Amino acid sequence: MTQLVLQALYSGLLQGGSYALIALGLALVFGTMKVINLAHGELVLLAAYIAYAIESGLDLGPMFAIPVALVIVSLASMSVCFIVSRVRQDREINSLILTYGIGVILTNLILLIWKADVHSSGSSWLQEAFVLGPFYSMRSEVLFFMVSLVLMGALWWWLSRSWYGRALRAVAANRDAATLMGVDPGRTELVSFLVAGLLAAFAGVALFSYGVIQPAYGGALTVKAFIITVLAGIGSIPGVLVGAILLGVAEALTVTLASSALQELAGMTLFLLVLLLMPNGLFGAQRRRG
Amino acid sequence: MMLMMNKNMVKLMLWLAAVYLLVPWMLSGNHYVMSTVVAALVIGGVALSWALLGNLGGMVSFGHAAFFGVGAYVSALASIKLNLPVLLAIPLGGLGAVLASVAMLPALRLRGPYFALAILAYAHIFRIIATEWRQVTGGSGGVAQIPGLPTIMGFDFSSKLGAYLVVLTLVLLFALLYRHIRSSHYGIALRAMHASEDATRVVGVNSTLLKGMMLLVSAFMAGVFGAFNAHTINFLEPDYAFSSLWVTLPIVAAIFGGYRTIAGPILGALVVYLADQLLFKSLMPIGHQLVLGVLLVAMIALSPTGLLPLARKIMPRKKNA
Repeated sequence: MTQLVLQALYSGLLQGGSYALIALGLALVFGTMKVINLAHGELVLLAAYIAYAIESGLDLGPMFAIPVALVIVSLASMSVCFIVSRVRQDREINSLILTYGIGVILTNLILLIWKADVHSSGSSWLQEAFVLGPFYSMRSEVLFFMVSLVLMGALWWWLSRSWYGRALRAVAANRDAATLMGVDPGRTELVSFLVAGLLAAFAGVALFSYGVIQPAYGGALTVKAFIITVLAGIGSIPGVLVGAILLGVAEALTVTLASSALQELAGMTLFLLVLLLMPNGLFGAQRRRG
Repeated sequence: MMLMMNKNMVKLMLWLAAVYLLVPWMLSGNHYVMSTVVAALVIGGVALSWALLGNLGGMVSFGHAAFFGVGAYVSALASIKLNLPVLLAIPLGGLGAVLASVAMLPALRLRGPYFALAILAYAHIFRIIATEWRQVTGGSGGVAQIPGLPTIMGFDFSSKLGAYLVVLTLVLLFALLYRHIRSSHYGIALRAMHASEDATRVVGVNSTLLKGMMLLVSAFMAGVFGAFNAHTINFLEPDYAFSSLWVTLPIVAAIFGGYRTIAGPILGALVVYLADQLLFKSLMPIGHQLVLGVLLVAMIALSPTGLLPLARKIMPRKKNA
């Protein structure tokens, strides 16, 4: 029993890595533009399907799909930014509905191109067992956990050291003040969508490498990402990582101790509890109450 | 003045005659189109309930599938397990949805996107309950042989024509209710809240209470249409009753027609759903919802208040002419 629980904790931890990548994209965009991109999960899924197309079409491993996915998904993400920035009146409500519509478009495009079947990676190297002491996982899980850690480190460095990263944080903190300091907010928003797209591309390829994908999965990914940003509170990368691991662990424990049908319920309950009891999240100081 | 009233009354009578007599007569031979129209009106009803929450309450909901599904399940189970007459079970379904929305009341404290996604989380939870609570709901296998609408005074309401008349009446009744709320002093307070919630609070309006009431009314409406739908198709399963379609279609319909008007969501549902089912579905069997997404994005980007206000702007009514 203890062994099972420990194993669930370990699997949840690994799962949390790529959840964090998805959530960071959502949080970055929310920070600069104050818009929840409801099509974000579909962008991740698009990357996963690109990996599938490259594996099944060219007979190359999912890793080779990363460059293609990076280009396509970041372009798609920037187009979302382009459309959302058209919205002028009732921005909060309209941008939600708008990105919801983009999500519907992407889901159905995926459905049109790749049909409704469920797919997973056929790469035997990625699916081989990786044993760490008493714990088991697939190689792909460990690999992509490492990749997420590296990417998060890079993102942290970029946000705190580079000019654009600082501009992005400035716009998130105070848009008007940042504009007065010579930062172009429109351009910064575009950059945040670009970075969100890049992270989504990695997350998508990871998703395809260790899990199963199907066209309707995008919405669930967006919801997971949003749950994590709520858990974390907005504004800290370590917070997002902890939130993501928390969600991963909660899901893994539910599957181990109860049933896999209740997996989604775990995340939703966690979400509602934090939202209603600790509305500032576990780490942040963002105001959400009306 | 009297003359104007009479003119409007005549207009109204003509409209009612057209929708109650002319439409059924024209479509009487075509069962497929008739049942599509019934489904479109069901969506129109949910779109109306979504628009009420959005327009009066200022809240975007991605969780109306929860109300629709709970209404459907409560009504279906009440009529099967408690042998309740269908005409009583349907409003009971609406009350079930109200009960579900009471559970959502704490979420009213949340702003914009947080509220929208919290409601979505509730909707997921209700779907999981419907799937897992097997003894009552029949689990993922669903509920079969749900009794249809009854026969009253020799007229069979479970026929296509009967279903059309019932759903049309429901839609019109709820539209009246919506209009009544909008023009009451609640409606005025809600409109003031839309302009500035803080200012409205300062003059002594309990905005959370008002929003909560709008949520309950909206839930009741969506629940009744879910219940009606369950009794016309006579079968339910969780993936159908809580499908995201019951969110997507009403949103597209309401945005398309104009969610700040009353007729907009209903007309929008008729146009969008009929076009989707009769045209796009035959053109592209898989992924025809793509068109809905494109429509939604185009509407928000080009005319976020919908087509009806746009049409009024282009063709202003001749006043006193």
